[in-house]
Amino acid sequence: MAETTSIGVAELDKSLMNGVPRGYTILVTGTPGTGVELFAKQFAAAGIGKENVTYFSTTESDEAVKNAMKEFGWKQDIRVVNIGKMYYEKVLAKNLEVSKYRQEGLKMRDIKQFNASQAEQSQDVNFLTTLTYGISKLKPPFRIVLDSLDFFLEYYDEPDVLSAIRTIKAHTHLNNGIALVTMLKGVFDNRVESGVQDIVDITIEIERLREGSEFKRNILIRKVRNHPEKTKILSCHIDEKGISAKTL
Amino acid sequence: MPSENIIERERCVTGIDGLDNILNGGIPRGNTILFTGSCGTGKTTLSLEFLVHGALADENSLFVSVTESSDKLTTNVIPYDFFEESLIKTGKLAFVDMPVIYERLGLTNVEFSLEDVDTLVRALGNLVDELSVKRLVIDSITSVCYRLKTEEKIREFILKIGKALSNRGCTSLLISEISPSADRYSLYGVEEAIADGIVLMGNYERRGDLLRTLQVVKMRGTTHSRAKYVLDLTPAGVLLVPLLKGGGGI
Repeated sequence: MAETTSIGVAELDKSLMNGVPRGYTILVTGTPGTGVELFAKQFAAAGIGKENVTYFSTTESDEAVKNAMKEFGWKQDIRVVNIGKMYYEKVLAKNLEVSKYRQEGLKMRDIKQFNASQAEQSQDVNFLTTLTYGISKLKPPFRIVLDSLDFFLEYYDEPDVLSAIRTIKAHTHLNNGIALVTMLKGVFDNRVESGVQDIVDITIEIERLREGSEFKRNILIRKVRNHPEKTKILSCHIDEKGISAKTL
Repeated sequence: MPSENIIERERCVTGIDGLDNILNGGIPRGNTILFTGSCGTGKTTLSLEFLVHGALADENSLFVSVTESSDKLTTNVIPYDFFEESLIKTGKLAFVDMPVIYERLGLTNVEFSLEDVDTLVRALGNLVDELSVKRLVIDSITSVCYRLKTEEKIREFILKIGKALSNRGCTSLLISEISPSADRYSLYGVEEAIADGIVLMGNYERRGDLLRTLQVVKMRGTTHSRAKYVLDLTPAGVLLVPLLKGGGGI
């Protein structure tokens, strides 16, 4: 059996292969509010001290990621690569500036301020390339968290995103790293979801059901590569220590 | 020579003697002129001279460079005897790079939409207002047209830019690039139909020499000669001599 590492939730480790084999890529999905983002952070925290943990964030700020980890009493020695912030700086901030010039008119001073170096900076950035390049530079042992794929699926063509996931998976596999990507459930069509699920080694879904006046959560192990017998449903509990699971 | 009773509209005196003579006193103010010709025929040089003379005559002048960087152009202006650097320092003669305008306005698509055309025309109007520009050159309009693609959008752009500039009393030269063998005055054929005037520049081979020529084909608002002239680029500026009288030192 290959060497394994923890997914961050003890009972889930047991249900898998006493952890997750190194080299694996995991997909975690769920509808908004189920705890997917928290799962990603708990997974990140589980690698601290043993692996170089890099957290690619597309929506939260660096501080928000680390503060959330602090609130649950986890260490925060991770590197956050903030794709969301880069996107703001390179695209959204520029769009805001453009709308200002379009509304208020262009002045000579605005043109003079724009020098050659700015022209270079304003080249279009492909964030998918930024992501895969960032990952290709990671040195083992590494643990990658990508929260979330939704950003890339929204801005790039599906085949390009799938190709990027394959690259991440191949790099993770070859270097005995471990990677976790998150994706919202029910946002993209089945073809996209199936495409992503087909590439990853393990798919986990967090499900939230309403039972009377309460929510009940389950963790669904939907796919384990070459081990269909390991797919199962665990009950999920979230408290101040984070996510825990129990075999039903 | 111009005579008082011919001049109906106020003139923008180009400062280029030969050209003012051909036009009976200058370009009718507010006209949008297509300066067209193949490469190396002196379009940019002539238009720069038009602006320098304007700036010297206290008319604020703006050169909008589409293909070449304006830094490079300013060094090309210097050889003129009559050029004064203070014209640039005081802002009487200003240069802007069209790609910077595109960038600032977020016009990054390879093909502009009709809305983009409006945005661009408005921005150029803003600059003309802000700097009180009386003379404007766009070098070249052909490069802008590459981004417009369709005749409809080219027509829209030239009509709107012409109107916006004319309303502001700004006399404008739109530089148009054509191939030497072209049988029309502009690449798309639309520009020439809409412009207020067409000045055709070309090359003429005579006795082993390649002469530059200039011909005013059309000019609304004035009578003009339609003869071909030989054009000489000298440090004293452009010199024009009628072709048939053996110009160009021959």
